[in-house]
Amino acid sequence: MAKEKIKGRLERKLARWGLAFVAPSIAFFSVFAFYPISKAFYTSLFKKNLLSLKKPTFIGLENYRYLFGSADFWNSVEATFVFSIGTFLPLLIISLMLAAFIMNISKGRRFFQISYYTPAVISSVVSAAIWLLIFDPRGLANQWVNFILHTPGIDHRWLAGSITVRVSTMIVYFWKYIGYFVIIFIAGLANIPRSMYEAAEIDGASGWNVFWRITLPLLRPTVVLVSIMSMLQCLKTFSTQYLFTQSGAPQGPINVITLNIYNTGIRDFRIGRASAMSIILFAIMLFFTWLQFRTSRSDEVSY
Amino acid sequence: MKKTVFLFLIILFLLPGLAFSAGQQESAEEDGPITLEFWTHEDPNRDALENRYVEEFMAENPGVTINRVTHSSKKIFELVLTAFAANAGPDIFNMQIEQAYSYIINGRVAPVGYAAIGYSGPEEMIDQYIEGSMGSVYVDGDLYGIPLELNNWAVFVNKRVFADAGLDAEKDYPKTWEEMADISEKLILRDGEIITRRGFDFRYPYYLISMVPMVEQLGGKLVSDDGKTAIINDEAWIKFLTYMQEWGPNGRNLGSPTYKNARKVFNMDNNDVGMCLSGLYQEARIRNDNKEFYDSGDWMVIPYPTFENAVNDVANTFYGQYYMVNAQNSDREIQMAWKFVNYMMSHDEEYLKAVNIIPPTKKLMASETFKNMPYSDVFVNDLARANVVYTAENGAKMEELVKEAVESVMLSGIAPVQAHATLKAKAQELLNEM
Repeated sequence: MAKEKIKGRLERKLARWGLAFVAPSIAFFSVFAFYPISKAFYTSLFKKNLLSLKKPTFIGLENYRYLFGSADFWNSVEATFVFSIGTFLPLLIISLMLAAFIMNISKGRRFFQISYYTPAVISSVVSAAIWLLIFDPRGLANQWVNFILHTPGIDHRWLAGSITVRVSTMIVYFWKYIGYFVIIFIAGLANIPRSMYEAAEIDGASGWNVFWRITLPLLRPTVVLVSIMSMLQCLKTFSTQYLFTQSGAPQGPINVITLNIYNTGIRDFRIGRASAMSIILFAIMLFFTWLQFRTSRSDEVSY
Repeated sequence: MKKTVFLFLIILFLLPGLAFSAGQQESAEEDGPITLEFWTHEDPNRDALENRYVEEFMAENPGVTINRVTHSSKKIFELVLTAFAANAGPDIFNMQIEQAYSYIINGRVAPVGYAAIGYSGPEEMIDQYIEGSMGSVYVDGDLYGIPLELNNWAVFVNKRVFADAGLDAEKDYPKTWEEMADISEKLILRDGEIITRRGFDFRYPYYLISMVPMVEQLGGKLVSDDGKTAIINDEAWIKFLTYMQEWGPNGRNLGSPTYKNARKVFNMDNNDVGMCLSGLYQEARIRNDNKEFYDSGDWMVIPYPTFENAVNDVANTFYGQYYMVNAQNSDREIQMAWKFVNYMMSHDEEYLKAVNIIPPTKKLMASETFKNMPYSDVFVNDLARANVVYTAENGAKMEELVKEAVESVMLSGIAPVQAHATLKAKAQELLNEM
């Protein structure tokens, strides 16, 4: 009895310390995440003009009702999903392949790591500006493709066609983030004990079998982490689409939800409706994060 | 324990709300010092001038401090808006009238302090400026801005590009939009489908300023006079959209929104473009960017073209940048802010000489300085046949709809009739929503 009492006291003491340690993080998230989210939800229930000094009108779920019936909003949902799927899957697969490649070479490993990672440190706006020059009709993109395909003088309309402009935004994002995820995969691969591979080698397993039966299963926590991070990054994409539309690209095909939120809130002053869009985007992101955790079942791997 | 954690979380959750709820601006005391935040867009030619005015004004008015802050012209709209949304807007700012209009109708800017700047009322002040230039800031019997500049655009011509194509710019320059397309065809250089030198190209982000007048020439309008109907005269709009379709890569391939802004490359005289659309301020920019080209006299300015069968003689729309004063201040601060703005704008001739912008006072427009500016007569004549840009709270959204229609015919292969129908439906929905 006395033992349990001491244990309980100790647990309470530990919990108090735990609370003290997490308090700064909770305070930080309260200010920069919880409060804006709750405020956005509250604002989404009002008809509010960003500039108006008048009291906003409470309209309940009217903003949500409007959005679910708006072709423009559904176009944004489609643009967001097309972009996310078109970027997230290649990012996941190719970053894993590149990480495996880098781990298997004996020379130049560091060079490749730095080369792939460099674009990740450039700001999104700068990378979009660089690619705007490349996608200019007289830029490198047309020159490279025409050289490879032997099609001199063809304008592939990287920023003008409804399909090509989508592909262009995907290329920018892929280029920017591939190195970041390669590094995460390399860290994951480095954690797999060497003895596993040695045992497989003794048993006569082929390289293909080793990858599918050892590397991939043991890398599952990293795959889950990368897939969640890359999916969330893709759903939040904004600066590339914003800069492209500012530079003459058609808005419709790349009018992702974040761009629509910006235009509705900042350009059209409809902050209530923009808040409703941001809450819907938040719900979508939450759902996909939950789904990925659920489908991966457990990220615990023991060696 | 759980209760403690729960309470702790609730407090943390509410803390930011309490912290951020105090957004009202503080007012200066009745006779204490005054500090005024003055935000404006970057313009190297204007910086030196206005920094000097700030110094002079502060010396003449002890106790007044003015902090002049410049922001990128692309960013200032967002910065001012977010500052006002948080009730922390600058005391003095300038903005293009299409954007500033919302500030007026939402009560964010103060009426001009007529007494502080020596006027008996709005009528006397309006009388100092050229006709039409104060209309957009005159709301419910009061003026809400002092114009920094009034702009209309005409066509800048590079004579060297004309000569290179075997044309004489002085004689062969385009007078109509049809001629503009034909002459551009002669000036253009291509590598296959890729344009390496454009004859002329439009200023694509500014659809209300530079393209709506083309529709007006054909008898169309963006919005009816009573403001209730959008996209007036279907035939005019379809003809305009057909012209733009022909201009784009799916037609005669004379230009496209995805090429570099023609106005920016014009100054370099790198054989990139033969003609571009811009205001009188472009002359100072040519002088700054490429003095040799400016001094060579190998450029000229011609009037905004009209369609051959135009029913209205309309030139490029004019717009203005206006200095405005934040209404969420004490009356003393507001009056001092207007006094300072008026002090700056009393140097209208210096603005014209140093920055090549036109504060639209009658005195300046009649001055020898203005008349001696190269091609100022072209701008004045065009101004006489120009309408003011569309100003309404939905102006930016309306511009996006026109942009969408133009881009859909130029880039996405949509038929002009279909693009017009979509534009009409969306623009009407927008008007109805207001």
